[in-house]
Amino acid sequence: MEFKDYYKALGIAASSTEDEIKTSYRKLARKYHPDVSKEPHAEERFKEIGEAYAVLKDPEKRAAYDQLGSQAKQGQDFTPPPNWDAGFEFSGSGFDPNSTSGQSDFFEALFGQNARNRQNQAFNAKGQDHHAKVAIELNDAYHGCKKSISLKMPTQDSQNRVVMKERKLDVTIPIGIHAGQHLRLHGQGSPGLGNGPAGDLYLEIIFKPNTLYSIDDRDIYMNLPITPWEAALGATVNIPAPNGSVELKIPSGSKSNQKLRLKGRGIPGKTPGDFYAVITIVVPPAETEKAKEAYRAMAKNFDFDPRSNMRRSS
Amino acid sequence: MSAADVQIMRCSIVEDEVQMTTSELCHATNTEAEYVIAWVYEGILSPSGSSPDDWRFSGNSLLRAKKALTLSRDLGINTPGVALALDLLDELSKLKI
Repeated sequence: MEFKDYYKALGIAASSTEDEIKTSYRKLARKYHPDVSKEPHAEERFKEIGEAYAVLKDPEKRAAYDQLGSQAKQGQDFTPPPNWDAGFEFSGSGFDPNSTSGQSDFFEALFGQNARNRQNQAFNAKGQDHHAKVAIELNDAYHGCKKSISLKMPTQDSQNRVVMKERKLDVTIPIGIHAGQHLRLHGQGSPGLGNGPAGDLYLEIIFKPNTLYSIDDRDIYMNLPITPWEAALGATVNIPAPNGSVELKIPSGSKSNQKLRLKGRGIPGKTPGDFYAVITIVVPPAETEKAKEAYRAMAKNFDFDPRSNMRRSS
Repeated sequence: MSAADVQIMRCSIVEDEVQMTTSELCHATNTEAEYVIAWVYEGILSPSGSSPDDWRFSGNSLLRAKKALTLSRDLGINTPGVALALDLLDELSKLKI
């Protein structure tokens, strides 16, 4: 376990006022909020910030932390991979920053496991619903897969103490699921209170990062570089679609940013998505005398002015 | 910490197969009903039905409600601000393609 420097996490001095802490937290929270941020490791940073703020905004926790901090040093840095929180389960409890996510071991050692588990259930008998993320390959959306996930979740032991228990679940990922969708596992959340039914477990699907494709709902987009002569004359090229390679006919006279659609080749479903190859015309470099000659021949043979619009408007 | 036996789960895709009542959505997102109701009146969520008691939310509402919740909770944004942020995020994700 490492000591965490909460002041450093918020980029503030140990002498900061409550207002300064709040301002700094808000600024960083906007920058790293997982729904908004494009920063690498945003989610991890966001959790750090949230944890730091949960402690420093509370005068009692801050005082306890300061006392500890006077004897300790920040631990070594580590960089978790993207989507590191996949498979980690948390239960939010209303509008409470404490509940944003699982806190670090460091936080739990200081303020106890229950600090993250404040229940705001009144006499509600159904157990809490839980949320976790599961990262799958794009390919899994085409073929379905079985995924073993292990989750940490708080459960009550025989003496009604809250203990963290690791559970392994084998989940069948159905064909056609895509990022942003949720699987609901009935009765796999927290146990109910009294005779109430157990809560549900929701698994949010995310796709592992992929350099070839961008994905919008069920539609898949791929950047397709082609030569100027392929664009002008037409061609048949072999492309790696997610569901195996296909021969794609490029019509003559194609332009950059034009989309070639393969209907129904996106993520399967009742209404399957489409696959789009987005054309980028790549101009070959004129590095040899022969290549230069070819460009000169083009200049001679074409009566072509790509800036004709500009002239007319000026 | 102990690992329980591996269980094989049957599950349903929320977005395709599930419709939620107001109280189910509140329970699933751990939100109080007043927030969900405010989000509906702001146009963030669009259930079918005419009053909170007979609203039915499509499965897509789950992700949207989760985002609305984290935006208002973590960034202290008020309801119209959450609506604006979600619209802008939608637009941003369209532009990224």
